[in-house]
Amino acid sequence: MKELEVATADAWEEAIGPGVDGPALGRDPFEDVIEVDPFVARLERIALGAAPRARRAPRLQAVAPVPREAPEAPPVARPVARAPERPAIPLRRRRTTSPALTEVELPEARGLLDRLLGEEDRRRLAALSHLVDGETAYDRFGFSPETIRTAFPWFHALYRWYFRVRSEGHEHVPVDGPAVLVANHGGILPFDAAMAVMDVLLHSDPPRLARAIVDRWAGSLPWVNIFYARVGQVIGTRENFADLLDDGQLVLVFPEGMEGVRKPITQRYRLQAFRVGFVEQALRARAPIVPMAIVGSDDQAPILYDLKPLARSLGLPFLPVTPTFPWLGPLGLLPYPVGYRIVYGEPLSFHERFGPEGANDARLVRYLANQVRRAVQLLLDRSRS
Amino acid sequence: MKHVLVTHADEPIGRRVVKTLFHDPEVLHILAVGDGPSPRGFDRFLGGAQPRLAYARADIARHRPVADLFRSPRFREAEIDTVVHVPRHGAPAAASAPLVAGVAERTAEARLVLQHSLEATGVESFVAIGSAFVYRLPPGNANRLDEESELDLDPDVAPEARSWIDCDMIFHGELHNDRLRVVLLRVPTVVAEGGFVYLHPLLAGRPGARLRRLGYDPICALVSDKDVARAVQSAVHTRRPGIYNVAGNEALPLSILARWTGRASLPVPGALLGLADRASRLLGREALPGAADAARLRFGFTLDTRRAERELGFRPINRIGLARAGDGSLRLETASL
Repeated sequence: MKELEVATADAWEEAIGPGVDGPALGRDPFEDVIEVDPFVARLERIALGAAPRARRAPRLQAVAPVPREAPEAPPVARPVARAPERPAIPLRRRRTTSPALTEVELPEARGLLDRLLGEEDRRRLAALSHLVDGETAYDRFGFSPETIRTAFPWFHALYRWYFRVRSEGHEHVPVDGPAVLVANHGGILPFDAAMAVMDVLLHSDPPRLARAIVDRWAGSLPWVNIFYARVGQVIGTRENFADLLDDGQLVLVFPEGMEGVRKPITQRYRLQAFRVGFVEQALRARAPIVPMAIVGSDDQAPILYDLKPLARSLGLPFLPVTPTFPWLGPLGLLPYPVGYRIVYGEPLSFHERFGPEGANDARLVRYLANQVRRAVQLLLDRSRS
Repeated sequence: MKHVLVTHADEPIGRRVVKTLFHDPEVLHILAVGDGPSPRGFDRFLGGAQPRLAYARADIARHRPVADLFRSPRFREAEIDTVVHVPRHGAPAAASAPLVAGVAERTAEARLVLQHSLEATGVESFVAIGSAFVYRLPPGNANRLDEESELDLDPDVAPEARSWIDCDMIFHGELHNDRLRVVLLRVPTVVAEGGFVYLHPLLAGRPGARLRRLGYDPICALVSDKDVARAVQSAVHTRRPGIYNVAGNEALPLSILARWTGRASLPVPGALLGLADRASRLLGREALPGAADAARLRFGFTLDTRRAERELGFRPINRIGLARAGDGSLRLETASL
């Protein structure tokens, strides 16, 4: 009998903690609360304040002190009735287009790099800062106008002096609203995307930032993922694509994907099979598709051979052999100073003919993707000749 | 008119919820329970001949106190029809924290409070705050996660995240209950005045240096504590059960969020982070915040809040921005639009 009592007590102590009395069945945790006097409660808190606040109350315990003859609590005025702030709250609309160059105040030049830029370029950068709504200066994809401002002079130098980019057909890029730029992909490092983004930025008014869709695996690369996000590139998921178009952004896609990047020199400027997701998204968002040819990207690092088995064993999408890689180490991956030519084609407004419901027809989507591929290939052939 | 019970009312979000509900003319009575003594901010609500707010201490991780709470005369007199469960969030549970019946304290609380809400005849509505860090974050995840996004059911997930996922699953299980209307609000990193941060696995808890994974700086969705309280208020009045994402308009990279909330974040290689965590445990100290979750927390997310806007009528009205603190440093603050 004795043992049983001890065991029961132990079990109780284990269940509710040491030094606690037996169960207080039906105890009302609020039993003294009605007589609470804020003044007395404050005094009690001061007394309790000396001891560290218990992580867990050992048992139910009302906050109110032992009732005593306390002065009657002053009547507390009921709060002024206020309608709950639920529907119809004005919300600041997210701005997706930057102001025209003439509307932008010229910011002061900060540092040497800023001074190297022309007045118009500084205005363009200032206009981009209007794209981020809110106090925190980052959009929800991680884009930061400040990073663009820092990176711009370097990419501008590449654009103007290293790749010597020439471009035409800028009038085909919509001034505002959602649109999809579709381009060929080439070169090992994505300088074609960087030059395309720079070209759109430098030739649009109001300045537009093309949001390039990047492969998913780039999102898991250390540092690369941060840089891509800060300069406005977005991981290629359906949801992200749809969100960008819903926001009225200009989206740049390379539907060849990795196949375009790793194609050998024998297939340069021959478009690989297109993925079709961009057509679906463009139809759903009622966005025009602007074909775009980038000449120069396939010459910047011509691939002689792809070491597929070795790439697979290293977990890489491909492992190229070029005239300089791997012979010169990582430096061999750097692009050759080839001349770039970027040409924009006339927008293809499939959405006007087929509407958003066309996105549900897989055969139609495939057919339209092939039409876009043909348009880009024609532009490429014409631009090269 | 609503009669509401609020749990963990002494913790920061719980306090904010109680204050918001107190100023709602459609809420008649509020019973608030918490671990510690009554928060100082409640003093002006507790006085008067017939106060609308009553506060008591109760350990809701144990069956008996919860049973006593739900069967107390005050609970019956107040005719409680809505239970707002604010999970424990003041600080992440230490790895060495005692388990209750083999599960984390937060999970035990969620299970008990929901179970007693189901058994209490007068309770019609159950509103719970959950964490948005329950979503699976694979490499290359979508930036905006909606309520249907996959949950992280990886058995190796960190205990802190596990408890939030378990709570989520417990509430999820009663979503289609005919008698009790269950509303679950998934909130991301909560920012409060003074640069306080809650619910973020790495930044929540005491100020101080944090180790984060080198080479990654994920974007963090933010919401102010006032907006969380407003979302709870909307959920209390709604007739639509379901899961709702609740977030503000702002998002910040982790490093910037850490800096602006007064915490230093030191990037270290993943392997070193694991070693530091193990060393910390071997020395008998608490696990490094976020270390167990470091691989998962490489990738950021924001929340799709359109369902909450459509069905709860909730939109964030508080902006989160920088303000200069008394010591001259810049801190995150919240301000109403």
